[in-house]
Amino acid sequence: MEQLIIVVAVLPLFSALLIQLFAGRIGRGIARLSVAATTLSFLFAVLLLWWALTGHGPLPLGNATAIILFDPLGTLLATIILGISLIVHLYSVRYMAEEAGYGRFFVLLDLMTAALLFMVIAGDLITLLIAWHLVGVLLYFLLGQDTRSPTAYRFAFWTLITYRIGDVPLILAAALLYNAYGTWSLTAIFTEIMANPDAHQIMGLPLTEVVAALIGFAAFARSAQFLLHTWLPYTMDGPTPVSALMHAGIVNAGGFLINRFAPVFIHSGDVLNGIFIVGLVTAVFGSLLMLTQNDIKKSLGYSTMGQMGFMIMECGIGAFSLAIYHLFAHGVFKGTMFLSAGSVINDARQDDGVPKDELYTFAVERRPHKVRQPWLLMAAITLAVPLVILVFAHLLIAQDYFQKQGAIVLLFFGWVTGAQLIFATYRMRTQNIWRLVGLSVLSLVVVVLGYAVISHAFDLFLYPDPAFRLQLYSTASIDLLRFDVLVVIVTLIVVSGWVVTYYAEQNGYRRRKKTKRLWLNFYALISREFYISDIYTRLARTLLAISSRLNVWLRWL
Amino acid sequence: MPESIIILLAGLFLPLFPMSMVFNAILNNAKSAWLRSLLLIAWPLIGLFIVLNTKLIMPNWLVPLVLSTSAMYALRILTLREVNQWSGFLATSLWSLLWLPVMQDTPPVLLYGYAISMSAPLVLLVLLSAGLEQRFGAAYTGLYGGLARTIPRFAGVLVTVVVAAIATPIFPTFFIMLDIVVKTVSATPLAAMILLLIWVLWSWAGARLIQGLIVGRASDVRIADFDTTAIGLYSMVLLALVIGGIYLSGVIL
Repeated sequence: MEQLIIVVAVLPLFSALLIQLFAGRIGRGIARLSVAATTLSFLFAVLLLWWALTGHGPLPLGNATAIILFDPLGTLLATIILGISLIVHLYSVRYMAEEAGYGRFFVLLDLMTAALLFMVIAGDLITLLIAWHLVGVLLYFLLGQDTRSPTAYRFAFWTLITYRIGDVPLILAAALLYNAYGTWSLTAIFTEIMANPDAHQIMGLPLTEVVAALIGFAAFARSAQFLLHTWLPYTMDGPTPVSALMHAGIVNAGGFLINRFAPVFIHSGDVLNGIFIVGLVTAVFGSLLMLTQNDIKKSLGYSTMGQMGFMIMECGIGAFSLAIYHLFAHGVFKGTMFLSAGSVINDARQDDGVPKDELYTFAVERRPHKVRQPWLLMAAITLAVPLVILVFAHLLIAQDYFQKQGAIVLLFFGWVTGAQLIFATYRMRTQNIWRLVGLSVLSLVVVVLGYAVISHAFDLFLYPDPAFRLQLYSTASIDLLRFDVLVVIVTLIVVSGWVVTYYAEQNGYRRRKKTKRLWLNFYALISREFYISDIYTRLARTLLAISSRLNVWLRWL
Repeated sequence: MPESIIILLAGLFLPLFPMSMVFNAILNNAKSAWLRSLLLIAWPLIGLFIVLNTKLIMPNWLVPLVLSTSAMYALRILTLREVNQWSGFLATSLWSLLWLPVMQDTPPVLLYGYAISMSAPLVLLVLLSAGLEQRFGAAYTGLYGGLARTIPRFAGVLVTVVVAAIATPIFPTFFIMLDIVVKTVSATPLAAMILLLIWVLWSWAGARLIQGLIVGRASDVRIADFDTTAIGLYSMVLLALVIGGIYLSGVIL
């Protein structure tokens, strides 16, 4: 039964080959062939997921180095990838029908699906490296599907070069692991690391820490973490189905990679702390930049960046399985958003959606004034309700949940996010504020309960060993005093942000001259996206100038 | 023969700067595509023959020179627009790295295999360059563009050949680079890092070459695309390279 996973990965490859060979003869039937292969592959993946859920595996398959690994993480992600890929395939059948290179698109889409599948079920470092590298190359060509558009290729190149930079640490990590343990097999390497984590050193540092840091860097590039994120919001010139696949699947690879190397990270507490900080910074900057965009697709791009920050942050606090659930949930909702972006644009052409003036609705449409409740009452609800829901939901799962520092961090972020939701609801003018708040609270209850219960189920499925789970959390823990200080500081920042917003609203957004200039400077900084892509562009141009100058000096020889 | 003369001679064929300029001058002056192909295949093999058949003690300064030669040519490819020159520079950047497996005591048969695997995609590229010269009068990026629309089959082969040349999986150069990195990383992590950055530069250069040739609007003039025979021949060589890559992965890793 486990061998079926090889069929799952090979089917899209086979479909790509058939389309390439017989595209001329079967015409538009290529889409049917591609969809059929993906559907079959998806059904097999579901079957295998059920097999894994019933307690089978992990099992290395292939030769002595184990090319393929049948395990819960691989089967779960293979099912998710194929589910999203199938939706993208179905959507593309008609969406891409008018585009040139219809056959090429399906070949690339199938190859990309196969590469992603091999990446998640790789049982050895070589297969992982090949698949990891190929994902970047294939994405470059998928984003450049429109060969008439230099812009599409320009930003596809940004993606390629970031991915290639991300390949560097992964290859270094693989080479170091091979030199230390003499095998490419992931299972064998992890077994040895678990048995004796401090057996090897490199340049006076523990090998596990060095490898974990390198894997972390590779994950940052793939998952658009801060400073390696510039490619993500700009790759919107690619076809919409590719954007959906990229934002729903490919960009999540960082979370997968950290999970795959969990036995290495379990011995690398400092690296996990670093990962948490990078994720936190990315989440904040991504969300900040998302709010200031006036282009819907770019805004979605930054939203993905923020979500990736959250996912990486979850890994940083030891909640590895939660990151996988986040990856899945984000994939589904972001994929839906991208695939429906066209419909939204179409609707906007018919109705601009701009709210009508209040005086107009009151005098002409004879609707009552929209009202608000007292601010203090709403502030109390805003802060208290999410906290109660979160605490209740987590108590429902496990009494000792609050012993884990990572859980507290998650609770804290859940509280801030929930409070922000109700706060935003309060700021919206509506005829029936209690109905809106009630709906917000209800949705929060559903989300939190769903999130807590399902993520707990993911925890049990992906990491069935309770000792391993506990060790992951304890490795990620930091000194209690520093932790408490950090929580207090962040709470103060968030709450003061709300207060500032409140007073700004009360004053009708009138600012003093000094603060106005400061605010404008800050806005300019954000609107230029912190000048990061400008700096990279300048750097690239400098390198090209050096290259050109060298060629002139050396007479092109 | 004195050791310095042997190194100079070997540095001519397994190019080390500044001797590397000789190879590029010869390649630039070779007018026939077949002569260029012969040069690309034979040149590193002569270098390997010299190195392997003399009892050469490798000096300490050789590794920095090898890496700087390869890195400099990788950087210089970025702004090259003529396809033949591009092939020559990439060949220089690739072949100079052959010194590293020589120093790592790689078996001679495997070394010759490395050299041929590195050169094979470049031979295909100079043949394709001849095809471009025949069709457009020059093989130059950014000059006409739009090959993906004008001659899609030719463009498809061109893209695959470039991808093979810049050490993309599952072509042999990928596994060769991986082998060199694995054998270098423990002793000199910095050298391994530089090797990987050179590899990134190749990808950058490859993307610029592809973009300069295939992207853009279709030509108004009808231009002959590849026929089935040409496609079949190129596909067979590329398939052989893929099989070679998979075989190499089993042998060296």
